[in-house]
Amino acid sequence: MLRDPNPIHLDPQAVKAKGLGDRVINQGPANLAYVIAMLQTAFPQARICSLDVRYLDNVFAGDTVEAGAKVVSVTGDNSARITCELWLNIQTRGPAIQGSAVLELPG
Amino acid sequence: MNSQQVPPPPQVAGRSLSGDAPYTISVDDNRRVCRLAGVAPAEDGCAHPIFFYIATQVGMGMTVAGLCEVCEFDVNKGPLMAANRVQFSSPLQVATPYQIRGEILSLTRKASRKLGLMDLLEYQLRLHGADGRMVLSTNNTWVLPRGVPA
Repeated sequence: MLRDPNPIHLDPQAVKAKGLGDRVINQGPANLAYVIAMLQTAFPQARICSLDVRYLDNVFAGDTVEAGAKVVSVTGDNSARITCELWLNIQTRGPAIQGSAVLELPG
Repeated sequence: MNSQQVPPPPQVAGRSLSGDAPYTISVDDNRRVCRLAGVAPAEDGCAHPIFFYIATQVGMGMTVAGLCEVCEFDVNKGPLMAANRVQFSSPLQVATPYQIRGEILSLTRKASRKLGLMDLLEYQLRLHGADGRMVLSTNNTWVLPRGVPA
């Protein structure tokens, strides 16, 4: 769907050639989609206003990841604006994604 | 290699990344993405927010390989996604044509202990509805590892 021919997403041999092991690497947007799903599950009525994320590590085929967020501020009168810190952590290795999001809850 | 020996990167700032054809998020594609992400498609016709990346990337009138080529980088060497900053003015909708406009903001060369010589590519893509209003703007940053030891 992304029309991305980067072989590290498709071919374990390409990953091996880069000295990164022998498992294909998940595309960054796929990892971010897990984070978005977490936000949508936590705030099913909210609209995402912004996302600001950094990609810190690769997620390899077979990795277990966990998406999470922490609310750091809530503002607004008629409709609430929620700012969250967010992350996608790889089990045993640490963060794959870190960043923040602003969501708007209807009044 | 010290900073005085680092050759400059290609001069690509300002290069247009605007698609000729509109991009439409199909119901089927949205359903597939939602299934992969583990959520149900919205009942109100809103598309999964990750289409901020998919729609702009595919609709920018240049392939990933083409964008790498503009930066004189071989896509087979593996560009790395570094960051996204997206602002939504309104939710994305399925079955709605969007026009993509954008440009390369910068290509900055750095010497990294881990990656050797690398370029940071930052580009902005904006999604406009049929009425011309901007629905979202995203700044994307990639790392292009040049593979020359620092």
